[in-house]
Amino acid sequence: MRNSTDPVAEIRDLRVEIDGRAIVDGVRLRVRPGKVTALVGASGSGKTTTGLALLGEYPPGATVTGEVLRAGDAPAGYVPQHPAAVLNPARRVSALLDDLARPQVRHLPRSERRGAARELVLRALADAQLPDGEVLLRRHPHQLSGGQQQRVVLAQALLLGARFVVADEPTTGQDALTKSRIVQQLAAVAARGIAVVLLSHDLDVVRALADEVLVMRDGRVVESGPVRRLWSAPRHEWTRRLLDERRPVPEGGTSPDAGPPVLEVRDLVAAHGRSTVLRVPRITLRAGECLAVVGRSGSGKTTLARCLAGLHRDHRGEILLDGTALPRSLRHRDRARLAAVQYVFQDARAAFDEHRAMLGQVARTAVRLRGVDEHTAVREASAMLGRLGLAGDLAHRLPGELSGGELQRAALARALLARPRILVCDEITSGLDTVTRRALLDLLAGLLGERDDLSLVLVTHDLDTARLADRIAVLDAGDLVEQGPAQQVLTAPRHPFTVSLLEATAHLSSGNRSRAGT
Amino acid sequence: MTTKATARSARRRRSRFALGLGIVAVPLVLALLGPLFTGDPGPRSASFTLGGGHWLGTDFVGRDVWRQVLHGGRTVVLTALAATALAYLVALPVGLVSALTHLRRLEDVLMRPLDVLLAVPSLLLILLVASVFAPGAAGLALLVALVNVPDAARIVRAAAGEVAARPAVEALRMQGETWWRIAVGYVGRSSLRTLAADAGIRLTGVLYLVSTAAFLGVGVAPDAADWAVMVDRNRTGLLVQPWAVVVPALLIVALTTGTNLLFDAALEKTPRTKGRRP
Repeated sequence: MRNSTDPVAEIRDLRVEIDGRAIVDGVRLRVRPGKVTALVGASGSGKTTTGLALLGEYPPGATVTGEVLRAGDAPAGYVPQHPAAVLNPARRVSALLDDLARPQVRHLPRSERRGAARELVLRALADAQLPDGEVLLRRHPHQLSGGQQQRVVLAQALLLGARFVVADEPTTGQDALTKSRIVQQLAAVAARGIAVVLLSHDLDVVRALADEVLVMRDGRVVESGPVRRLWSAPRHEWTRRLLDERRPVPEGGTSPDAGPPVLEVRDLVAAHGRSTVLRVPRITLRAGECLAVVGRSGSGKTTLARCLAGLHRDHRGEILLDGTALPRSLRHRDRARLAAVQYVFQDARAAFDEHRAMLGQVARTAVRLRGVDEHTAVREASAMLGRLGLAGDLAHRLPGELSGGELQRAALARALLARPRILVCDEITSGLDTVTRRALLDLLAGLLGERDDLSLVLVTHDLDTARLADRIAVLDAGDLVEQGPAQQVLTAPRHPFTVSLLEATAHLSSGNRSRAGT
Repeated sequence: MTTKATARSARRRRSRFALGLGIVAVPLVLALLGPLFTGDPGPRSASFTLGGGHWLGTDFVGRDVWRQVLHGGRTVVLTALAATALAYLVALPVGLVSALTHLRRLEDVLMRPLDVLLAVPSLLLILLVASVFAPGAAGLALLVALVNVPDAARIVRAAAGEVAARPAVEALRMQGETWWRIAVGYVGRSSLRTLAADAGIRLTGVLYLVSTAAFLGVGVAPDAADWAVMVDRNRTGLLVQPWAVVVPALLIVALTTGTNLLFDAALEKTPRTKGRRP
């Protein structure tokens, strides 16, 4: 029998080059059975390229040197960031899994194959932490939640008998409760002796799950080691910067409690078609204040943000700006009121015209909303982009040539050029790595400090991000369950849902690993 | 290795473009410039003969086939091009407006009448209208454009509808952008690939429809110099004097094939080459 610590896969001095530029340079990596190896780094650091190299896949047009070894052609599994993309939408889950189970029962007599395959499928689903598999089997992929799709993909890998699984950013964009479930599920996979390669920029998850961590930057591994050592004594400067992100300190109490509210939401009831998705009796926002709207996905927090911005017209109740009601749809808001409430989208890439250079797109805000002439607008846009760290050549690029963090800065610049009174930021940090996220949050905090007429509505699933706020509103399943000063909500929550959300976050960041079965 | 592959694909694309251009140029040049190079009609000879000073022989009433070919392209080609352009001239605004509006009623007002038109077979509609009004070439172009508007508008609306649902459109609205900039500058531009592909197919369909109509005597006189009419009238002599049928038929085929090749080459992406280990 093979020694249990022999690596199931190994990368030696891998170098991947595209058009003469090294994406990955000199990476060494050993994947051991039952262990979780995490690749950590900012976006563009070569994590995904390395992860895919383990599966024998390379980006188009790449020149590859180095070695990728896999023990005895061990089958491998891949759980992509968007699992829906790898599940055939036209087929039911049962068919997707049956296809993989069938070849494994070919040795049995024909009459027994069906039952045996069924059993294999159900066992794989149970191993992938989908105990109620029977019900799911009849559904199509689009009828599953993102988490369930992820587990179905995992079940496919388990059915194949994968010796190692590469999970690409499995927790990106998930709330704390879902995250801790994903951690449990991957820990259970590792407990079965399967190696897990985790590509992530979510340090809480890495800390909770990984045995071994490789910190990557610009395609190189700058530091590697056991997770505990890395956290307690990081050797490389970059690692220290990456880990040092911990918790922006809430300033608290800086905002004036007096004064009339800039924005007031009264008896808001929003619907999608026939179903009511949001009920908010009252929320107020004062000048210079930052309000965080926190909740899990599907809690209605984005709908609230879209109502404020005039992007979701299907609602009753009133949204008052300086005491006068805002029109429901932004089509009916005049220039001044459009400029007053600006909205920054979660998916910055999709929120830009991919055919035009960034600078021109950003400048249009000043032209349209403030009536500035083209020339001045471009100058203002260029100055604003420069202030947000997109100077010179970057501003003249097409959106496709910018990274996620850069695009989000450009989106902020576009909104800020309107000189808004209220800036609504919808999950603007969710797809970003810790360093970029911290920089963006620092930027927001700086903006708030500079301009006292600017108020911020920060929609987020991430309590760490919410710490930036003066006040926090918590939404659960469309209901406003709690609202109050940030300090109070974070330290002495009143509603059980807030308590569970805080617990899940604390649990993740304490680095506890709850392995099923060990 | 990969740069070589890229260069090869670029070369292939260029040669495909040149091929398309070459094929489409022959009928286009003949159609547009042909009438300038024809001399006097000259005396008529016997029907369906070869030789005797006639390059391509004579047609069913003894006219010179080469002269007829030079004269007969303009109507077909111009009518087809005009009809396609006209169809899009109407379909683009209708499709874009109905994709971008949030008013259900406006969308219904724009699209439902077109759906009714969609249900009538196009040739039937042309023949019906032709039997009442006896249209000329311009009338035929209008008619053909009319029967093509519903399809084109649906395609425009579908392609634009997908783009209109993107956050970028909401972001543009948030910037207070004009309707024109949103609809044409972003939505229209982003749907260009789909629309160009459709225009290529549509031109082919329109060419056949115009030829068929001319074939049936709609829009042109029964003995007019017209490629489609030539194919129809001369087919009785196909076995005696094939050129009077084959040449105009080939020209129509060249026009459609060439157009499609051109659109293909223009829309082709540089193929993704898979990275390989050395």
